[in-house]
Amino acid sequence: MTVTVNGREQAAKPGETVESLLDRLGLAARYALVERNGEPVERGRYAEVALEDGDALVVARPVAGG
Amino acid sequence: MNDPLVIGDRELRSRLITGTGKYPSPEAMRDAVIASGCELVTVAVGRIDLDTVEEAITDYLPEQVALLPNTAGSATPEEAVRIARLARSGGLPDWIKLEVIPDPRWLLPDPLGTLQAAEQLVDEGFTVLPYVFPDPVLQKQLEAVGCAAVMPLASPIGSGRGLELRHAIEIMIEQAEVPVVVDAGLGAPSQAAEAMELGADAVLVNTAIARADDPAAMAEAFRLAVEAGRAARHAGLIQERETAEASSPAGGLAARS
Repeated sequence: MTVTVNGREQAAKPGETVESLLDRLGLAARYALVERNGEPVERGRYAEVALEDGDALVVARPVAGG
Repeated sequence: MNDPLVIGDRELRSRLITGTGKYPSPEAMRDAVIASGCELVTVAVGRIDLDTVEEAITDYLPEQVALLPNTAGSATPEEAVRIARLARSGGLPDWIKLEVIPDPRWLLPDPLGTLQAAEQLVDEGFTVLPYVFPDPVLQKQLEAVGCAAVMPLASPIGSGRGLELRHAIEIMIEQAEVPVVVDAGLGAPSQAAEAMELGADAVLVNTAIARADDPAAMAEAFRLAVEAGRAARHAGLIQERETAEASSPAGGLAARS
C-alpha cells in the first residue's frame, strides 16, 4: 500500500504503525510531530496507530524560530 | 522587585524570553540562551525535510529552559490552530505563542484572526500568548477570552527600531490584567530597558541577539538591561521637565544679587 509523507509517496506495509514508518524513514520519532489525514496523532499512540492505504501524513518537528 | 513573572501556571524569574531563530549555528544559539538567563524560548514548527538530516534544535537547549512553540507561518486562524494542536499532540507544551500573520512584508498580525484563534485555543485548554499590534482594545478582548499574556510588537519583527509604538504600549501596560510582553522590534539592550522602565512585564528578543557579532555577549547585555529596566521601574522614575533643575546649589561663590 502507499501513503504520502509530506506530499511524497512512500510504500508502507499493511498494518504498519506510525512509529514503524518514522523509524524506517529515519525520522527520529522522539522529535516528530505527526498529522494523519489532517488530524494530529497523539505521541503516545505512534506505536499503535496503523496506517491505511492512501493515508496522508504530515511530519513536522520543532525548528528554530522567534 | 524580585517577584516572579507569572504567566498561566508558571513562575519565571527571568523577564527575558528569547527566540531561537536566525543564529549562525545551533551552538551559538545554545550559548546565547544560557548567557541570557532566560527560562522560556520560542520555537517554530516546521515540516521535516525528508532528504536532509536536520539537527534537532531541542537537543541544543539547556534542560531547564521551557519551550514556547509558536504558530509562525500561519496566515489564517485555522492554520494557527492546526499548528498548536499538532505541537501539543506531539508532546510539546500546551503553551502557544499565537501568531496569525497574513502579510510577509511588514509581518503584522491579523487582529481578528488572532482573536478568533485565541478563543478556540483557550477553549481547547492551551495557555495562549498572542502576538499583536499594540492595540489596547484588542488587548481587552484577548484578556476576555482567557489569554495568559499579550505580546505587543514594539516595531516590525527584525527591524531593530525599538519602541515606535510606545504610547499604545503604555496604555496597554496601564490597563493590563495579564502580563504584557513586548515582542519584536527591540534592537538594542537600551530599548529593552526602556520597555521594562515603561512597566512591561517581560520582553522577547530574537534578532538583536542572534544577529549580533557575538550573540552570547549580546544576550548577556540584554539580560542586564532587562534587569536594570525592571529595577528602575520599581525605584520610581522622575517626571520629565521642560526646563532645567539644578542638581547643585545655585549660588556658588559669586554674588549675583
